Amino acid sequence: MMHIALVGNPNTGKTSLFNQLTGTYEYVGNWSGVTVEKKVGVLRNKQAKMIDLPGVYSLHPLSRDERVVTQFLLTESFEEILNIVDASQLERNLLLTVQLLEFGKPLMVALNMVDVAKRRGIFIDQQKLAEALRVPIVSVVARTGKGCDQVERMLMEKVSQEAKPLHIYYGSALERAIARFIETWGAEEKFPARWLAIQFYEGNSYVRDYVAKKLPETTWRSLYEQAEKEVQQAEQASLDQLIYERRRSFVKEVIEQSVQRQEIGRVTVTDRIDAVVTNKYVGIPIFLLAMYMLFQLTFDWLGAPLSDLLDAFFAGPLTDFVTAMLEAIGASEFIRALVVDGIIAGVGGVLVFVPQIFILFFFISFLEDSGYMARVALVMDRLMEAVGLNGKAFIPLIIGFGCNVPGVMAARTIEQPRERLVTMLLTPLMSCSARLPVYALFVGAFFAANQALVVLSLYVLGVSLALILAKLFSLTILKEEASVFVVELPPYRMPQWQALWRSTWDKGKGFVKKAGTFIFGGSVAIWLLSYAGPNGMNVNMDDSFLALIGGVLAPLLAPLGFGTWQAGAALLTGFLAKEIVVSTMNIIYHVPDVESLQGLMASHFTPLSAFSFMAFVLLYVPCLATVATIYKETRSRKWTMFSIGYALVLAYIVSFVIYQIGSMLGF
Amino acid sequence: MVAMTQLRVGERAKIVDLSQVSNLVKRRLLDMGVTEGAEICLKCTMPLGGPFMIENCGQCVGIRRNEAKNIQVKPL
Repeated sequence: MMHIALVGNPNTGKTSLFNQLTGTYEYVGNWSGVTVEKKVGVLRNKQAKMIDLPGVYSLHPLSRDERVVTQFLLTESFEEILNIVDASQLERNLLLTVQLLEFGKPLMVALNMVDVAKRRGIFIDQQKLAEALRVPIVSVVARTGKGCDQVERMLMEKVSQEAKPLHIYYGSALERAIARFIETWGAEEKFPARWLAIQFYEGNSYVRDYVAKKLPETTWRSLYEQAEKEVQQAEQASLDQLIYERRRSFVKEVIEQSVQRQEIGRVTVTDRIDAVVTNKYVGIPIFLLAMYMLFQLTFDWLGAPLSDLLDAFFAGPLTDFVTAMLEAIGASEFIRALVVDGIIAGVGGVLVFVPQIFILFFFISFLEDSGYMARVALVMDRLMEAVGLNGKAFIPLIIGFGCNVPGVMAARTIEQPRERLVTMLLTPLMSCSARLPVYALFVGAFFAANQALVVLSLYVLGVSLALILAKLFSLTILKEEASVFVVELPPYRMPQWQALWRSTWDKGKGFVKKAGTFIFGGSVAIWLLSYAGPNGMNVNMDDSFLALIGGVLAPLLAPLGFGTWQAGAALLTGFLAKEIVVSTMNIIYHVPDVESLQGLMASHFTPLSAFSFMAFVLLYVPCLATVATIYKETRSRKWTMFSIGYALVLAYIVSFVIYQIGSMLGF
Repeated sequence: MVAMTQLRVGERAKIVDLSQVSNLVKRRLLDMGVTEGAEICLKCTMPLGGPFMIENCGQCVGIRRNEAKNIQVKPL
């Protein structure tokens, strides 16, 4: 099957185009860096595979997800490149196109946002542009899918065409250096050695590593230094400056031939929104208000009533139906207990919170797709700068509210390795949606009057601790680099319902899936541990294996206000996934629904110890999936262990302080 | 010629000198088409020494005040 690489600048509608062409579910976002992984889809005509590469401005990588593109070009096999170009930002988009044309693979341009360009007074003569670049161009509307049929057809036709790499003249000094490089390096099979030479001299770090693998260090260093010296003498410019300037003048010429401009002095919708949202005085209050609305909608206004309905269904009709079914087929008491007390109680106890989780993911997707996320980075940068990070680090943290795993991955867009590491280490402190069921359970039992406020206080606790620790980490263990911040603020767009629903579902389905696998298995195991004991089966819960295991932890947890074996057992299982804490409690306390569980818990917890317990669940360790992701992203056992270790210590200290000081104050 | 921080919000200017800007930031600005000779407009500034938002050819970029300080511009 043919392979086509989709390449383009960030915020050009690349992921939308990918979705339209492949028809598969894909994550669409406006924040530069939502597409952080290599994603492959099959074209609708089933004849080719398309690879969605991260959005980049240039092949010369600054951040980790930018390295992916150069790596892909050099090491993977593919037949064609589809280059998506934003018509309203032609100049900077074509700077990337030029580098792709130099690479010499058959390339086709999908020209997006022609309508936006027209509104700005930019009129592109497509035919002339195609002639100047010597590539086929199709104009598309990526959001609606207009023009995608033609793109697909042309992609199929073009395979036979042989492409000749674009040849830009870089001045005699650099041209000599390129010739020297090619002579030393020899010919390449899959791409022109000239492309490699240009990227090498431009300072592409991935290409340099690639070259260093084949050439001895003295050789490539002397090649580079000689070029640097000669170009400096001849052109009074550094290598990357010269290359950038030459490409730019080529692009300018192309644009001159094919684009007409009209001066249109118009205030756009984006300008009007930004005048308020990024206003000096109300920008931050608006952000806080948006967050408050998000929580109110998720917990009070929309989520809670839906959850109650679902809970009533699980506890009533479903349990009755299953019990009747099992009786009818003559199942044993053991099976009945396993299904009703183990599986329905454990899995159902978690599934009840699906509405809240989907609502939360829906709003996070909305913030991403609308373009507001990048403004959040801008608005919050001053605060983040004070703790040694930059505004971009705020986005992984917000995504972490949904789920810590994509949050940790979103840190890839941060350019500085140090800031990226700190962000990854701190993202687990963001209260993810899996922790919600735990709060919902306790808040309903102990803080019925102020539900949203108490939950909000936990989120604030997580964020505050993250900021304090960021400062601490930047001052101590990770203090070498200075922090850097440049962010593109894409125009606002009204998110499309379809795309919103897709990305909500993509994020939320993991939670449902987890309920069917992890939590299902966990519930069965926990129930068995509570059913069996050293003295046989069907023992009193207090004599079960689970009580035995939890009992070991109980004395340690006593200073925190919840020194019971039940709490110990729930926390232990919660490492698998935090929502299992609720499953475990449902099974241990052996009750039909959330309401009666809450009633029962009043005898085991006080409001103070409940709050201390929630704080502990918030902080104590990242869940298994997050730990695995941190390891994958940092490639360091040391930092992975550190992320677990510091969280445990922090949780213990914070819960200790809450409980002890609270007790002293008489709560 | 003045530093970008001298501009008033809403004022337009031409970028004259980027050489004092740190390398990483300069690369990113060049990537986004904010080069010497480009025309920009200061859209807004964040309080307490927070970042600057500038517009260039219809696209907006946020940078820090201490980087903006190193960008020399000529008001139009």
